Amino acid sequence: MAVTAPPSVARPTAAASPTGTAAVTAGLVLLVAALAVVDITQGTADVGAGEVWKALTGRAGAGDTSVVVASRLPRAAAGLLVGAVLGMAGTALQAVSRNVLASPDTLAVNAGSYLALGLAAVTGVSLPLIASSGIAFAGGLVAAAVVLGLSGLGAGTVRLVLAGTALALGLTAVTEGLLLLFPQETQGLYQWNQGGIGQSGFDGVLQMAPLAMAGLAGLLLVARRLDALALGDDAARGLGVPVRATRVTAVVLASLLSATAVTLAGPIGFVGLCAPALVRALARRAHGLTRTRGRLPAAGLTGAALVLGSDVLLRTLVPSDVAVAVPTGVVTSLVGAVFLVVMAARLKDTAEAAPPDRLRIRGRAVFLTTTAVLAVLLVGVTVAAVLLGDSKLLLGDVVNWAQGRAGRGVSFVLDTRTPRVLAALLAGAALALSGTLVQAVTRNPLAEPGVLGVSGGAALGAVLLVTTVPMAGSWGMAGAALAGAAVSSALVFGLAARGGFGQNRLVLVGIGVATASTALIGLLIVLTDPFNATKALIWLSGSTYGRTPPDLVPLAAVLVVGLAVAVSRRTELDLVSLDDDTPRLLGLGLARGRFGFLVLAVLLSATAVAAAGTIGFVGLVAPHAARALVGRRHVRVVPAAVLLGAVLVCTADLLGRTVIAPAQLGAGLMTAAVGTPYFLYLLVRGRRQGR
Amino acid sequence: MRRLITTAAVATAAALALTSCGTTEPAADAAAPKKQDKAITLTDASGTEVKLDGPAEKVVGTEWHEVELLVSLGVDPVGVADVKGYKTWDQAVPLKNEPKDIGTRGEPSMDTVAALAPDLIVASTDLPPAAVKQLREIAPVIEVRSANASDPLGQMTKNLDLIAEATGTTERAGEIKKDFDNALKEGAKALADAGLDGAAFAFADGYAISRQVSLRPYTSGSLIGAVNERLGLRNAWTVDGDKDYGLGTTDVEGLTELPADVRFAYIGNDGDKSSTPFTGALAKDKVWTSLPFVKKDHVHRLPDGIWMFGGPVSMERYVDALVGELTK
Repeated sequence: MAVTAPPSVARPTAAASPTGTAAVTAGLVLLVAALAVVDITQGTADVGAGEVWKALTGRAGAGDTSVVVASRLPRAAAGLLVGAVLGMAGTALQAVSRNVLASPDTLAVNAGSYLALGLAAVTGVSLPLIASSGIAFAGGLVAAAVVLGLSGLGAGTVRLVLAGTALALGLTAVTEGLLLLFPQETQGLYQWNQGGIGQSGFDGVLQMAPLAMAGLAGLLLVARRLDALALGDDAARGLGVPVRATRVTAVVLASLLSATAVTLAGPIGFVGLCAPALVRALARRAHGLTRTRGRLPAAGLTGAALVLGSDVLLRTLVPSDVAVAVPTGVVTSLVGAVFLVVMAARLKDTAEAAPPDRLRIRGRAVFLTTTAVLAVLLVGVTVAAVLLGDSKLLLGDVVNWAQGRAGRGVSFVLDTRTPRVLAALLAGAALALSGTLVQAVTRNPLAEPGVLGVSGGAALGAVLLVTTVPMAGSWGMAGAALAGAAVSSALVFGLAARGGFGQNRLVLVGIGVATASTALIGLLIVLTDPFNATKALIWLSGSTYGRTPPDLVPLAAVLVVGLAVAVSRRTELDLVSLDDDTPRLLGLGLARGRFGFLVLAVLLSATAVAAAGTIGFVGLVAPHAARALVGRRHVRVVPAAVLLGAVLVCTADLLGRTVIAPAQLGAGLMTAAVGTPYFLYLLVRGRRQGR
Repeated sequence: MRRLITTAAVATAAALALTSCGTTEPAADAAAPKKQDKAITLTDASGTEVKLDGPAEKVVGTEWHEVELLVSLGVDPVGVADVKGYKTWDQAVPLKNEPKDIGTRGEPSMDTVAALAPDLIVASTDLPPAAVKQLREIAPVIEVRSANASDPLGQMTKNLDLIAEATGTTERAGEIKKDFDNALKEGAKALADAGLDGAAFAFADGYAISRQVSLRPYTSGSLIGAVNERLGLRNAWTVDGDKDYGLGTTDVEGLTELPADVRFAYIGNDGDKSSTPFTGALAKDKVWTSLPFVKKDHVHRLPDGIWMFGGPVSMERYVDALVGELTK
């Protein structure tokens, strides 16, 4: 899956029309200016266009003037700055990696910065802004270095995005865990964590602006070399461009830019991915934008327009006192997501299907031992999960309980603990199976119910039901989750199906839908139940809290059906995952088989979400790991993946319940924290084997 | 990798062998007969009928509002959610014992609650229904609606009476209510004497995270808003509050909507650095410093540790502190 820049980039033509470029740039400047002006007239204070004009011309009262000068202008300036730096950082990262999916979000740069800031905040030392931006810079840089280092500079682009999204998920999970461990400020942090551009005075913007300028200047200086990189490493070397040095410089500068944005406004998502994509679309009109030197400022302007536009949109659509409760980042995510989906649907997806992982063929003995070992692990983890918790039990207690002879305390503990353990086991198994099916059908190593927006849609459906019908039962929840998952997957697979599941298109549309659903869930909870952060966390981070046995029935039923189908149709799965032609040659109805497997995958992830919230990562990690351990044949992959998934989520849940007991961390957070290192290890290992 | 997994499996098997057998408590024999003479039946906020064998003594509280009511009724809870937070935010009604921490207010740990073997759990209706269902397996649960913006004071009194009934402390509840009423009457009189009857007043709290300040206006639907009105003050907030706590959301700009003659009061906490933006991030904010009531120094910080969502005793402390500040 070579996600390459469009060919036009590779050949900067001499026939670039300067007038087109000038017109596009002028249009962007006008748009940003117009949005900034509108933004200044909006806010909670009763200071509209007239008052702003008076204040700017020095004829307004002290109150109105101070609102304009100390609140409105800084906010607009922050929006402009944040959007611009994210747009430029995204452009630089995409140029360096020759990957349209690269951005501060997908390369974990933002997540690294955010974690670094979170760590600094936990120490309780209050730092001056410039020092925190230094910390954010260091965090972002380390994350970028890890991602690029693990994936190998210039190596496969799939690996790059895989490593990046994986690390981002893991880092964000650790940060959210930190927030929960140090919960005094959760309300505020939860909001900040979505990104907001409100400012108290100009200090922040003024301190960050020089850093942004430095980053932009540096990138413009290496712009020509970045253009050369688009030709490919060897060609660039042939032109005398120091490939490695250029890459490192550009990544450092891009990290600096994203760090200023995160310091100023928290992690505002998606702008770094969208702005360059928009500019690519504009470049068809204006060829000057095909060169990095023209593209950088244009992406900056587009980013600024995205952020300011989102802010304006929010304040136009909802009353001002509600709008302040909604973080701007939520809106950029929504706007960006819709935009990304539309773009992806129209994208000319030239990427070919990835060659199947080149894995050693494993013998039957290896499979049997691996499965046996995994089964022992599963039993061990399950037993540990039942015994450990706030109150430690011994096996004898469990035996007594099973025979109905346990004392009061033990019965209580086990009555509440076992459903949670079961929920974790079943959800892990179901998500792993779902991931295996989706990866087989789409032949896309990035495909996963979470990444593809299916889990997000399910969670959105469930949250909608919970906010409208508080006393919904478990079948109702499963139904609502299924409806949500059905809608989102119909959207994702429907849009991606055009021209056969194009690799990039599927993941791009999926990421778009996933982000949109996360943002909508956040929005829904802020608007309906603003002071119930726990509710939000359960749905956004996955939690087995408060599960009762009836809640698990739908999940267990679907899992049994899913396993039966997967095992009985194992040969078909093998064929489908191979390539397009073989099944056709064998006379298999490819489309119908694919559809059936996808429906099953959607069912599995929807019921898992209804039972335990959105637990990401399992669907991605488990199938990969299973293939690495037992080879590619589904008769072996399915059991291995299902066992691994159950072990992973159950371990995560166990840790989440015990590490900071009696307080608890969501299983989703822990899964990501546990899964990330393993996943990165897999990537390194694959590379060492000389893939 | 394979070696790692194998090692883990071997270790697991060993651990399993070691933990086998043994119990932490003996198997139950026939249950001891319980006394039924003082049985209590009551209906909680969720409409559920709850039966108790007698006045509860070992009580667990999942939300600070209910914990405060328990403590002021003279019942020392055996388990409290987020003990540290309670000690930070509710110094008006300090805990007299060292209760077990049962986890967070949003997700109290079932394990810990179960291990305490309480004879009553006082839960908030904010808990997820599934969690309440599980708690009911452990012990009788009365669900209490911690706040109700359509009648904040009525809801508080109702909660006090309900918990008093379950713990056999109705007499003490009567005293608390009488003291609170007296405090309100005396406070209203003191304010009227100072010429503040009908004065515009706004109470808020706020958070500053990473230089971004968000403020929470306490509208007429909030407990403190209702107390203010009983004191004869006029609530100056025009924003809408949520349906439970009567809290709105605004930013610094939103303060410009307050009338120029407003008196502004807030409660922060030195134990929670993000919670006092008024002395921190806002001190240098031009919007804040140019507000008429800030210039006139009509901003009052009330003592830390008066829990804004507490019960009559917290509110009594609030009335005393506020009247003291405004009539200074």
